[in-house]
Amino acid sequence: MQTILNFLIKHNHWFLFILLEGISFVLIVSFNNYQSAVMFTSANNMAGNVFETISNVNRYFELKEENNSLVEQNAQLMNEIEALREELAEYKDSTRLAGYMASGRSAKGFRYMSARIVNSSYNRVDNYMTIDKGSVDGLEPEMGVLNDNGVVGIIYQTSDNFSLVIPLLNSKSNINCRVKGTNSHSALHWEDGDARYSYLVDLPRYAVFEKGDTVVTSGYSSIFPAGIPVGAIDNLEDSEDGLFYRARVELFVDFTSIDNVYIIGNDGKKEQDALEKKIIKE
Amino acid sequence: MTSNTLTRIRNFALLALVQVLIFSQIHLFGYATACVYLIFILKLPRHTSHNELLIWSFLFGLTVDIFGNTPGINAAAATTMGFVRNMILAIFTHKGLPDDFVPGARSIKWGGYIVYSAVCIAIFYSVLFLLELFTTGSIAALFISVTSSTLLTMLFAIVIEFFSYRK
Repeated sequence: MQTILNFLIKHNHWFLFILLEGISFVLIVSFNNYQSAVMFTSANNMAGNVFETISNVNRYFELKEENNSLVEQNAQLMNEIEALREELAEYKDSTRLAGYMASGRSAKGFRYMSARIVNSSYNRVDNYMTIDKGSVDGLEPEMGVLNDNGVVGIIYQTSDNFSLVIPLLNSKSNINCRVKGTNSHSALHWEDGDARYSYLVDLPRYAVFEKGDTVVTSGYSSIFPAGIPVGAIDNLEDSEDGLFYRARVELFVDFTSIDNVYIIGNDGKKEQDALEKKIIKE
Repeated sequence: MTSNTLTRIRNFALLALVQVLIFSQIHLFGYATACVYLIFILKLPRHTSHNELLIWSFLFGLTVDIFGNTPGINAAAATTMGFVRNMILAIFTHKGLPDDFVPGARSIKWGGYIVYSAVCIAIFYSVLFLLELFTTGSIAALFISVTSSTLLTMLFAIVIEFFSYRK
């Protein structure tokens, strides 16, 4: 008994080793399966603040480019306003029903918020992004993330002031997409390697489409409304079992130089609930 | 003793910042990532106790994990390296060295230091990439990643050792 005890005491670092490795494995597994480990990601407050400071410094060097793109975007928006005004005028002239439908278009309960990326990667096996808004700003897991060009990803975990985003460039990313102008839809999968491409893996063979067709969100999930651009079909081949098409999609979003994003929340109902609760309390 | 610990904590913080802000962001050819923070573990004195080695390694790995969104992976690999470090260092230890020497070119000669750190770093990367690529990767990609990352980290380890040697 004494010798066993002595042996255990002498080799106590073995137990520490096993314990620490055990903790590591729990972290690995829990991060992959549950959304509870936000403390151990770059969305925690300390890591988020460090990355935010650095990205603030970096942004000064990119101001000129940023400015150019804003001017361009501004012009585009002006054009769009003009076009919408014309359309609106048309609706006002026509029947009341059409006017009602036109006004209904903007009230679908989707809410947009802007956020900035403070940390991102694009060339690992699984990529993540950290943005500078969190649950305090009303963000929740499972909200969609876009930028001016199209879909970026989905919020995975939120802390108070930061959120972790799963961009399209992650094997966990799984967004239902549709080829524009057709009804054929499929999940968009990323295979590690290239930040420019993702894959629609099981498009039905009877579907009619060709290279260059635009891929948009299908709207089957409540995360993204239908019709948000994702990419364009770049290459078509047969799937491994030959039953489906496998389409390589060139993504519209340039993940190597991404900075500002929009969060899209479909929380019309939740907002109402919260408001009613507040009124009852007061 | 306390000033020693303070220096160590300062080195930890500095090296952690350099690692997460610069080196972790660079992936050469999609395969090689340098982990210069391993130098911290390599340079802990010979008679650092096993438990202390393990805890420093684990904490450093976890810090890098938190900033890199890879919870547990660096921690597991660094802990493994901290565990085997003293066994490998024992091979290069010879009589005539002070009791509690710091591993380096001065104490165990250039050859000894290079082999010692190369073996430790290779073990670290083997565990790291095994865990990271468990589901997706091929053996060939794993081998390339381990080799290229080890070489890259060795390059930095030798450069840093060269400057501290001249001082």
